[in-house]
Amino acid sequence: MEGEGMAQDTAVPKLSFQYWLDKAVEWGHTTTLESQQDVCLHLPKLQEFLQQIYESLKHMNSTTAIQRFPLIGQLLGRLCWNPFVVGYDESQKTLMWCLCCLYSNEPQNPVELKANSWILSLLCHLLSSSSWGANEVGTGTFISALGYTSADYYSKLVKNIVSSLVTELKGNQFNGLNIQGRVSDDHVTVVSLFCVPLITLPDVTPLLEALLTYHGGGSQEVLSSEFLEAVNETFLKKKIALSESAILSLWLRHLPSLEKATLHLFERLISTQTSSLEHVVSIIKDSFLLEGRGEPGCMCGPMDTAFQMLQADGAHVCPQCNTDRDHTSQRTSGQPQAACHPAIFKIVDEIFKNALLETGGTPEVMTIIQMFTQCFVQAHQKDNKQHKFPLKAYFPHHHQHLVIALLKHPFDLPAMLWSQHLKYITDMLKAIIEDKSIRSYADLFESWFLFVRFGEWADIAVEQLLKSEDESSDSFLWLLAFYYSPHNDKEKRTQIVVEARAVYDRLMMLFSCTTLSITDLQAAASTKTDKRQPCTKHLVRHLLLSFLLFSSGGHKIAQEFISHVILASNTTNEVFGLLIRTAYRFNQLGLKNQRAVKLVNELLQELRFMD
Amino acid sequence: METLLWQVEQLPGLLAVSRSEQVRDWDPPTLDRALQWGRYFQHLHGRFRAQPRLRAALGQRLRRGQPGPPLGFGHLGRCPELLGLALLGNRALPPAACHRLLRSLLLPPSGQATPGPCSLGLLARRRAAVQLLPPPSSAPTRPGELEPQLRTEAQLLLSRLQEDEEEQGPASVLEQLPGPRVYRVLAALLLEQAGDDAGREGARPAAAVLSWLLGDPGRLSDFCRLLPGSLLVALSARYPQLGTPYLHLLTSWGSRLRYDPLRGQWASSRCPGEDELSWEELQERFSCFMRGPAPLREAALASLKNLKTQDGDFEVCGLSVWTDLLLEIEAPLEREDWTLES
Repeated sequence: MEGEGMAQDTAVPKLSFQYWLDKAVEWGHTTTLESQQDVCLHLPKLQEFLQQIYESLKHMNSTTAIQRFPLIGQLLGRLCWNPFVVGYDESQKTLMWCLCCLYSNEPQNPVELKANSWILSLLCHLLSSSSWGANEVGTGTFISALGYTSADYYSKLVKNIVSSLVTELKGNQFNGLNIQGRVSDDHVTVVSLFCVPLITLPDVTPLLEALLTYHGGGSQEVLSSEFLEAVNETFLKKKIALSESAILSLWLRHLPSLEKATLHLFERLISTQTSSLEHVVSIIKDSFLLEGRGEPGCMCGPMDTAFQMLQADGAHVCPQCNTDRDHTSQRTSGQPQAACHPAIFKIVDEIFKNALLETGGTPEVMTIIQMFTQCFVQAHQKDNKQHKFPLKAYFPHHHQHLVIALLKHPFDLPAMLWSQHLKYITDMLKAIIEDKSIRSYADLFESWFLFVRFGEWADIAVEQLLKSEDESSDSFLWLLAFYYSPHNDKEKRTQIVVEARAVYDRLMMLFSCTTLSITDLQAAASTKTDKRQPCTKHLVRHLLLSFLLFSSGGHKIAQEFISHVILASNTTNEVFGLLIRTAYRFNQLGLKNQRAVKLVNELLQELRFMD
Repeated sequence: METLLWQVEQLPGLLAVSRSEQVRDWDPPTLDRALQWGRYFQHLHGRFRAQPRLRAALGQRLRRGQPGPPLGFGHLGRCPELLGLALLGNRALPPAACHRLLRSLLLPPSGQATPGPCSLGLLARRRAAVQLLPPPSSAPTRPGELEPQLRTEAQLLLSRLQEDEEEQGPASVLEQLPGPRVYRVLAALLLEQAGDDAGREGARPAAAVLSWLLGDPGRLSDFCRLLPGSLLVALSARYPQLGTPYLHLLTSWGSRLRYDPLRGQWASSRCPGEDELSWEELQERFSCFMRGPAPLREAALASLKNLKTQDGDFEVCGLSVWTDLLLEIEAPLEREDWTLES
């Protein structure tokens, strides 16, 4: 027990006591805005420190505690009188626990008796159990005479104060033209700062929402940055729920918060070992940037509407918007669709684009962008309120016909028309890329990035190549070469197409063979390898994987071949990524019993197991 | 059933003891038993809340033979907090029992990270929130707006009255409440109820409170003397049954003023205080009527003119208090008319 105490003791450095005591003294003496900001900044660290003290104290009796931590009384005493500290998150509980640990059940001397009495008066102060504040004398007697306690009183009082502040803020907003506005910007700044410790107190939520949607008279930010940051942080940690409009307003008025929210999503997507795209979708929808109202799954209906809408070109008509739909009911559903706001979408899209550039076009990042775009389009369709901005407004590309063609999701078309639609997309892209008049890298990149957002068409292209000997194979090979290698060198791209064509032709010869060996396939894959472009190998792997899934003999050697390929080339992630994309697409199409579907799932099982 | 009623009858005693010097003899096991009783009563509250007949029976037992503020069925549900906070504030509790109290009230149960059922952490946090949140800014409050503190007391009073409604009238609760404060809270309650437009449900306690006020001349006079004129006019506008008695009170206060020719002003006959109002205050209160809605304004004017006629209808200052009052309060009105016309 003693040993444990010592071990715990080292967890609370003695220096910290002095540091926090100095802070507490400083905060107690001045009540300037600066010192209040300083308190707010230190609250999380202080809470951690208090938690450490409590962990040590609970193993000691009060005498030992005071010997070990001689400054503890001074520190706790001061902190109990600081409403920022007492109001913050769970600090008040920890403070009271520490006080309980210091109370001695058998006081031996006058000092311990005095300490006990001091602890009780601090607790009574914190809880208003006997001593009410100076301006509450009448209240205390009145409440007791009614048979209520301070708990009943304060629970109602906080709600009343919050509601009168909310009324004041809202009234001020409506009287925007009134020169003698009732609330000054300074007052709002102070209110927002004083809310920082209280963010996780549910009673205060209506005030947080009113503040977030409040804009002062001028163009300057009236809310304190400590408040904006703390609300965003707490919201991302899911410790509070806020209305859609409040969150939208926060992200629109405070760029760092939006960036943080996007990076938070991105980090989650990258760091979680995603086992399926359904999981990716659920993380995206969980991010509050986008949250689907319905099941992920079939998107035929809304996508069709989108297509018709966009074809009408410019004139945006949404029949649902004309109906008297009660928009207030959406608030209760509490599912923010922040990214449906063009300004927010633009920032998020920009951050993803940078991630793509910085990682040099990593397939994982490409898949994330593709899924985000898909979820966005879906959310945009489902959220009638946001329809004031047509979909194409979010993709400001020079060639709106290409945007419209890409926005058409594969599932909106019968499978027999996929090839035709892909050809249409490819022809447009090719014309844009190979147009000599616009050859800036930026233009090229924009076109490529646009295609990456709708990357499911690349997967369909590979599938089309293998499933039907198409006269468009040249086109599709070009599209894949562009997808995997978006540089500006036409010669190079032609070279990749040639290399890919060689492999593809060999594969097609093997397509209907019922018995295949790994060597056959390896031979096909290594056609024209002498001066091969580095990115051809990605394209070839994509082709090989589809071959294994759809050819007559491929499925028999698939497992063996994949473990062979992966072990040899260390490309687990890439193959895994291709497989989960395929699995997701099959699932979306509602395919269950085909051979290829079963095989994809078996291969994924295998790879997960290898992980 | 009889056992249950007998147990409930012990609650007022238990609460009284927890506030008294008698806890000096408590050891930790006694304290545990007291807290257990608290939780048991809370359990009873949850169990019988939906059964009106049992509620009434239990409520009746709670009020039986106990000096001090009468208790109601609702107190059963609040028992752990009532008891816990009373004991925490009672310095007579010996250290060993107090140590036990703190541990069971405040510390998380061992092995659990979350604190116990009693949410005292939340109380401390809310109290800090009240200190932190600034009061709504310095703008002049209209008579319809209540400061949050008063509003809270009014809401608590209202819920207490509603709790007891089926069992007894408001008198037993209201008569126990301390001094001048009760009148301010009652006014707040009436204002809140009128503003809510709460229909018959909410109007019932308001009507009961009003008839309690009007039922006793001394009470009504205290109520009207303590509250500001603007508030009383706002209340009279919403509750016509209050307007007439208030006007009567004002005229009776006015008739007690005597003109002091030496100082050239109206003064109270005896030493002011008891049941009187100064000239300045009388004048201010009538001015509030003038700023109020038309029916009230007209009623006040008619009443003053009538009194003036009874006094001989003089137009000279210093003869009739009503003449002087009319001169004072009509002057600003005429000035306003003049400004509007120009």
